[in-house]
Amino acid sequence: MAALPFELTPVIAALPFVSFLIALLVGAFAPRVLPKGGAIPGILATAGSLALSVWAFVAVHNDPDGVYHEYITWVAGYGDATLDLHFGVLVDPLSAMMLVIVSLVALLVHVFSLGYMNDEGETGLPRYYAGLGLFTASMLAFVFADNLLMAFMFFELVGLCSWLLIGFWFREEGPPSAAKKAFLVTRFGDYFFLVGVVGVLATFGTSMFVGSESLQSFPAIAEQVLAGEAGAEVTTYLGFDPQTWFAILGLLILGGVIGKSAQFPLHTWLPDAMEGPTPVSALIHAATMVAAGVYLVARIYGFYALLPQVMALIAFVGGFTALFAATMGVVKKEIKQVLAYSTISQYGYMMLGLGAGGYVAATFHLMTHAFFKALLFLGAGSVIIAMHHNENMWDMGGLKEKMPVTYYAFLSGSLALAGIVPFSGFWSKDEVLYEALIHGLGNPLLLGAYAMGLLAVFFTGFYTFRMVALTFHGDARSDTAEDPHGVRWNVKAPLAVLGVLAAVAGLVNMVPVQKLLGVEGIDFLHQWLDAGPEALSAHHYGDLIPYSSGVIGSEATTVLLGAGLSLALALAGAGLAWRLYAVPDPDEHTDKLGGVKTVLFNNYYQDEYQVWLAQGVTLPLARVADKFDQGVIDGVVDGVSSVSLFGGSRLKRIQTGVVSNYAFLLTTGLVVLLVAFGLMGGWF
Amino acid sequence: MVPIEYYLLLSAAVFCIGLFGILTRKNALLFLMSVELLLNAAAVNFVAFSRFHGNLTGQTFTLFVLALAAAEVAIGIGIVLVLYRNFADVDVTRATTMRW
Repeated sequence: MAALPFELTPVIAALPFVSFLIALLVGAFAPRVLPKGGAIPGILATAGSLALSVWAFVAVHNDPDGVYHEYITWVAGYGDATLDLHFGVLVDPLSAMMLVIVSLVALLVHVFSLGYMNDEGETGLPRYYAGLGLFTASMLAFVFADNLLMAFMFFELVGLCSWLLIGFWFREEGPPSAAKKAFLVTRFGDYFFLVGVVGVLATFGTSMFVGSESLQSFPAIAEQVLAGEAGAEVTTYLGFDPQTWFAILGLLILGGVIGKSAQFPLHTWLPDAMEGPTPVSALIHAATMVAAGVYLVARIYGFYALLPQVMALIAFVGGFTALFAATMGVVKKEIKQVLAYSTISQYGYMMLGLGAGGYVAATFHLMTHAFFKALLFLGAGSVIIAMHHNENMWDMGGLKEKMPVTYYAFLSGSLALAGIVPFSGFWSKDEVLYEALIHGLGNPLLLGAYAMGLLAVFFTGFYTFRMVALTFHGDARSDTAEDPHGVRWNVKAPLAVLGVLAAVAGLVNMVPVQKLLGVEGIDFLHQWLDAGPEALSAHHYGDLIPYSSGVIGSEATTVLLGAGLSLALALAGAGLAWRLYAVPDPDEHTDKLGGVKTVLFNNYYQDEYQVWLAQGVTLPLARVADKFDQGVIDGVVDGVSSVSLFGGSRLKRIQTGVVSNYAFLLTTGLVVLLVAFGLMGGWF
Repeated sequence: MVPIEYYLLLSAAVFCIGLFGILTRKNALLFLMSVELLLNAAAVNFVAFSRFHGNLTGQTFTLFVLALAAAEVAIGIGIVLVLYRNFADVDVTRATTMRW
């Protein structure tokens, strides 16, 4: 067993943490010594993490078991009813893949930041790089966490870092408010997650993701209990049977996922989070914060696969979010806003894939999305540098000739996002939809989710190419677009790397080709996720999922139909956008939407109703609670103290200072005492 | 031999006189005298019971009471002197600055 790279796994997260400490401490005490405001330590640390992650990835591949799991106990239970809390490292195919993705994107974002932050003369760079380092470190630790509690801790750290980075320009008005919103909205979901974690620990006595010799994993226990195996015992609460109780736990954990992965109805923080620096947006959307939610579901997929209702709900919420966010992306004016809604929409697809039983498909989409969304954000960042930090697409136009590297990289990402063959997004999105279709044929809820996902493909194609056309094509519509600011290698290099990846990453899992042409063995990702420990493997999940799969005609027809339909819709959307906006002087065309336009511009009044919920419902409730607290609780406490104060103020008057009075009191006291003793002692 | 009840009556009478003096007088010197009466009432009791039981412990105690009374008077006179210096009087009801 290749022990070395595995034993270095904690270092993967420790390196960015060290860069965080360096940026923070050196930046505070000796900022002149810090090279490039902390960028160099950050780049070195993330490059080290990437190298170690790749090494671990290769080692997982070569390892006969395909897994490394090691943990320490930091809280040991007392007595017989032991409940131990652990910190551990779990490297299996899924986490090894995610480690590579996260560290790669983090490295590229650090390099890009040289161009976006350093070259633009930003101040407070040590703070920025400290934030990036901590962000990367906590996400990496979250990825290799081996139990739910540890995952929760780093999940929260990720949320904290997003707050720090979104609010980086805290002297302006927008960013602090957006940061607070992101923090509060995701915290709202995390409350449920926290209750879920406690629930899992109380129910199963462990929150391990993977079993070891001494300790079973909680999905395995749940599986045994539901299968009615002897010796499998859990404690359920509130009188629910295990199936219902597990579903409740699953929903509680899902609360955190919905908050972090910006699913309806907790998606409202994400578009506002665009107030942060663009490289941070790339990191948040592609590899860290938002990915954390979906990754968590994939991590404990063995648990969710046991719960049909929860699975259907995940799929439905995912499909709905995909469509819902895509329609809002259609009317946005700012390039980063379009990308924000596309992120929500794409994570909707991942949730749809997971809920529909497509574990590999969703993980695949998580991977390709990480590449093309990081690319699109960095491309948008490059455009924003060129446009002197004007993000309005209606002021752009004609940037194609002036910044060809950005254009071609951005185009690669856009084709992937829109799902045009053979770019990466096509393969992954198609597989998600295919899984939803074959499993949905026997399940109307899932079929509805599939229909929404399919419809969203059209809107995705439309908003993506509307964005490309408005930004890069046509005539320049402002003076800055006429003469854009140049960008340097540190912007172009990450774009080039990601541009290539966005184009070719889909080739790792060409399932439709395999099914149509019968070429065996090109579904590398399926094989990859099938290796590793039995309980975490894709075929085990395939056995668990509560759906039957159907086909239309034969399997080949279904594949062809699904792929053809989504490709046709994507092309139709892209073509329509191209026709409307890839002209020298495009119109907005939004007036044709009529009343829908207002609704879309206002994001379906989501913010309004949530603000109303807060102000119209929660605030009065809080006032009542406050009145109760101030009046009743505090009233009792204050009453007690005022009684003793009043009593004391009266009683102190017997301290007259006159010795005769004291003598009188002494004598009276003695007499009273004697009489009392006498009465009780029966002297009289 | 005088019966013990007479001694006890004498002792009680002296004690009551002393107590009456403490409760009614204002003059600090009279206070001191009243306290002496209280102590001596107790001392009489000691001696009487000592003799009644044929045991010398009570009489020994009386010696201690006398010594204590002497010490008490020394301190008491000291207090009275300080009282006089501060208030130009020995009236205990006037020295009320230490009250609430």
